[in-house]
Amino acid sequence: MVRYAVRRLLVAFPTLLAVYTLVFLFVRVAPGDPAVAALGDYASAEAVQALRERMGLTVPLWVQYYRTLVGYLTGDLGRSLITELPIGQQVATVLPHTLELTFAGIVIGAILGIPTGILTAIRRNRFPDYIGRTLSLLGLSIPAFYLGILLIVAFAVRLRWFPVMGAGSFSSISANLRHLALPALTLGIIMTSFVTRMTRSCLLNVLNEEYVRTARAKGLREQTVLYFHALRNALIPVVSVLGVQAAVLIGDSVMTEIVFSRPGLGRLMVQAMMQRDYIALQGLIIIYGTLVILINLFTDLSYGIIDPRVRYE
Amino acid sequence: MRLLVGILCVGTLLTFVGQAQILRIAFDAADLKTLDPHYAAATMDRAVVDMVFNGLVRYRPGDITMFEPDLAESWEVSTDGLTWTFYLRKGVWVHPFPEAPEGYELTSEDVVFSLQKAADKDTSAYAGEYVGMTFAAVDSYTVQIILDKPLSSWLFLPKVADYAGGFIVPKRAYEALGSRFATNPVGTGPFQFAEYVPSQKVRLVRNEKYFRGAPLLAGVEVWYMPDVTARLSALVTGEVHIIEGVREQAWVEAVKRMPGVVVDVFGPGETEVLHLNMSKDPISDLRVRQAIAYAISREEVITAIGADVAEPLCAAVPPYLAGGLTCAEVAEKGLLYELNLDLARNLLAAAGYPQGFEIGAYITERASYRKPFENVQAQLARVGIRLNITVVDHSSFHTLIRQDVNPLVHYEAWRPSADAFLTRFYHSASIVVTGAKPDTNFSHVTSVDSLIEAARYELDATRQAELWKEAQVQLLEELASYPLYVLKFVFARSEKVEYGYELKSSLALYPQVTELTRLK
Repeated sequence: MVRYAVRRLLVAFPTLLAVYTLVFLFVRVAPGDPAVAALGDYASAEAVQALRERMGLTVPLWVQYYRTLVGYLTGDLGRSLITELPIGQQVATVLPHTLELTFAGIVIGAILGIPTGILTAIRRNRFPDYIGRTLSLLGLSIPAFYLGILLIVAFAVRLRWFPVMGAGSFSSISANLRHLALPALTLGIIMTSFVTRMTRSCLLNVLNEEYVRTARAKGLREQTVLYFHALRNALIPVVSVLGVQAAVLIGDSVMTEIVFSRPGLGRLMVQAMMQRDYIALQGLIIIYGTLVILINLFTDLSYGIIDPRVRYE
Repeated sequence: MRLLVGILCVGTLLTFVGQAQILRIAFDAADLKTLDPHYAAATMDRAVVDMVFNGLVRYRPGDITMFEPDLAESWEVSTDGLTWTFYLRKGVWVHPFPEAPEGYELTSEDVVFSLQKAADKDTSAYAGEYVGMTFAAVDSYTVQIILDKPLSSWLFLPKVADYAGGFIVPKRAYEALGSRFATNPVGTGPFQFAEYVPSQKVRLVRNEKYFRGAPLLAGVEVWYMPDVTARLSALVTGEVHIIEGVREQAWVEAVKRMPGVVVDVFGPGETEVLHLNMSKDPISDLRVRQAIAYAISREEVITAIGADVAEPLCAAVPPYLAGGLTCAEVAEKGLLYELNLDLARNLLAAAGYPQGFEIGAYITERASYRKPFENVQAQLARVGIRLNITVVDHSSFHTLIRQDVNPLVHYEAWRPSADAFLTRFYHSASIVVTGAKPDTNFSHVTSVDSLIEAARYELDATRQAELWKEAQVQLLEELASYPLYVLKFVFARSEKVEYGYELKSSLALYPQVTELTRLK
C-alpha cells in the first residue's frame, strides 16, 4: 500500500505541472488587467503602467512562468498582485474553514444519506422509498445558495438560533459550531440527497447478486445478509463518490461561502479570477489540485479497508 | 438538542452584548483590495481608509461642499497663488505600530513625505494630480506647497483633503511596514487598524489619542458580504448595523418598510453618461449622434432606475460641483435633446440610414451599468438602431473600452472637480489608445482643450465656472456624450446608529463613521 501511495504521489508532480501551465496560459488569454482591477477607473494610465511594472507583468511571459515555477519548487506560492499578501498566508487563513465546512457537509451527508439509502432500498417501491426519493430529488434540485438563504431566513432571522454571517474562531468551539451549523447543513442536505440515491441504487444492484441469494439460501438472517454481505460491496462506489464530492465541494462551496459570508478557498479563487490576480489564482489552483490528488489517493486507499479483497498492485 | 440550541443562543447573545459599542458595516465586496490610501479606490477600501487617515483639510462630514481644518489648523495662500502654507496641529499622534509601540507625534516631515509619495507614480495611483508641485517643511509644524502655476481653491484644496492622494501617510510607519502597509495601515484617524481576516472582515479599534477626542464607539468592523440577502438578513438580526444597499427604487422602498431600519440615500452620486465614439462610423456623423440623443428619453431611464436614487444629469459636470450645469441652464441653451422620435428618424434618413443601423457594444455584468444600457438599447430600437450588447465581466469591460472597441460606452464615474471630469473625459490628451496620456476620452473629442486649460489656471472663481460651463455647452452641441443621470449611494442602517452629523453627501462613498458616531 505504501509503495502504491508513493507511486501515486510521484505521478502527481507532472499533473500539477500541467495544471500550472494551463492556468498560467488561460488566465493571461482572458481580457482584463490586474493593474486596472487594483487601481479602479480613477487611476491614470501612467499609474496603471507603473503598477503593471511593479507587479512584474511587463517582463516576458517565459520569465514570469519560470520565476513562479521556481517559487513553487521552493515552497513559495508568491504574493497576491492586489493585496500583496503572501498566497501561502492567505491559504493558511482560509483553508481550515474550507476543510471544516467540507468535512461537516460530507459527514452530515454520510450519516443521513447512507441509512436513508438503505431504508429506501429495502423498502423499495413502498411509502418510505417514495418519501426518500422525493426528498432526495428535491435536495438535488435546490441550488446551494437558495437553500442557504432559506435556512438563514428560518433559523437565523426568524428563530435567531444561529448567526447569519462569518466563520467562528477555532479558539472557541461553541462559536465555531454556531457559525458552522447552517452552512454545513446547506451542504449536508445536498450531500444527503446525493448519498441517499447512490446508496439505494448500489444496494439494489448488489441485492440482486447471486452471492446474496446464496447467503439467504444458507439461512442467514436478513440483517446479516444486508449489513455483512451486501452493504460492504455496495458502499465502495458510495465512498468513491463521497471522495469525488469532497474534492468538488472544496472548490464548489463558493456560493455557500458567499451566502454565509465565510472565508474559503473557493471564494478566494473566484475573487482572484474576477480581479485577474494571476499569481493568486495560479497558487490557489495548485493548492486545490494538490488537495484533489490527496483526496483521491485517500479515497482509493479506503477501498482496502471496506473490502479486504482489494489489492494495491 | 434543546440544550445544545440553548447553549448556542446564550453564546450568541453574550457575544453581542460584549461588543455593544462595536459598529459593524457590511459592504458589497468579496474582500479588500488595498488599504494604502494612495491606491484605495473601491468603496469598501475608501471606507476603512477614511476612518484610519486624515488629510490636511477635510470635507465636512456629511457635506462635501464645505472644507474645514483637519491635520492643518489653518492655511494661507500667497498673493500670486503659487505658495500654499499649512500650519499643522500640535499633538497629533500616529497610531502605534511594532517599531513605535506608543506611536509618535506627526510633524511636517510626515506630511511632506506623504505628499511626495502621493505625487510619485510608483507609490500612488493619483500621482497625476500633483504634477507641478513641490513640497517643503518650513519647520516641524509648517508645510509649504509650491505650485508651478496657480490654482483656485476649488481645484487645489481637494488635493490635500481627506480623499485619495490627500490622505497623510506617516513616514516612519510606511517605511517600517513596507509592502505590509497595504493590509496593515497606520494613520492618525479616529480608528486604528487591529486585524484583517481575508475574505471576511477588517477590525478597527478606537484611537484613544485622537486629536478631536476619543471616538464614542469602541471599534468598527468592516465586513465583506457580496450577497445582498445575507447583508439584509444580518441587518435584520442586528449582527451588522449598516449595510451597503442596492441602488434601485424597489429595494429602497422594500427596506424602508422594515421596522427599525433606516435607508440613507445620499450624494454626491456617480454620473451615468453615454459616451458617443466620434471616431467610429456611423457615430462620427453629427446627425446620427443627434438622432441617438432624440431617441433616448432620459426620464424613461430614470423611471426604470428609480426617482429616489437617480437624478437627471444634463451636462458633463454634475450641477453640485463648481462649474456644473443644471438641466434648467441646459434647457435655456436649447440643448436638452428631449425625446422626439420623428426628428430622430428624419436625422437618420438625412445621414443615409433611413432604416437605422446595427452596432455592437460591450457592457459589464454590473447592474448599475447593464440595466440602463439595456434600457437605452430598447429605446434606440424604436428608431431602428439595433444595439447588440455583449455582457462581459467588469475587469474585461474596463480593458475592452480602453482598447476603443465600443461605439457607445456607458460609463459610471465620480470625479472631485469639474476640471477632473472635463480633463479625464473630454481633453484630447485623454483619448483612449491614441491620446498623449490615454485615459477615458471615449468620444475622441478634441474641441474643448483650450477651454479646459484656461479654466484650470483661472483664479477668479466666477470666470472659472463660466469657462467650464462654456466647455460643456460646446460638448453638448457636438454631442460627444449624452449625460443620463446621477446615481446616488444607498445604505441601510439600524435606527440605533447615530452618525453624529447630517448626511447629505460623502466623498468617502459610504456614510462616514467619525469620532461622534455612536450606537444608541
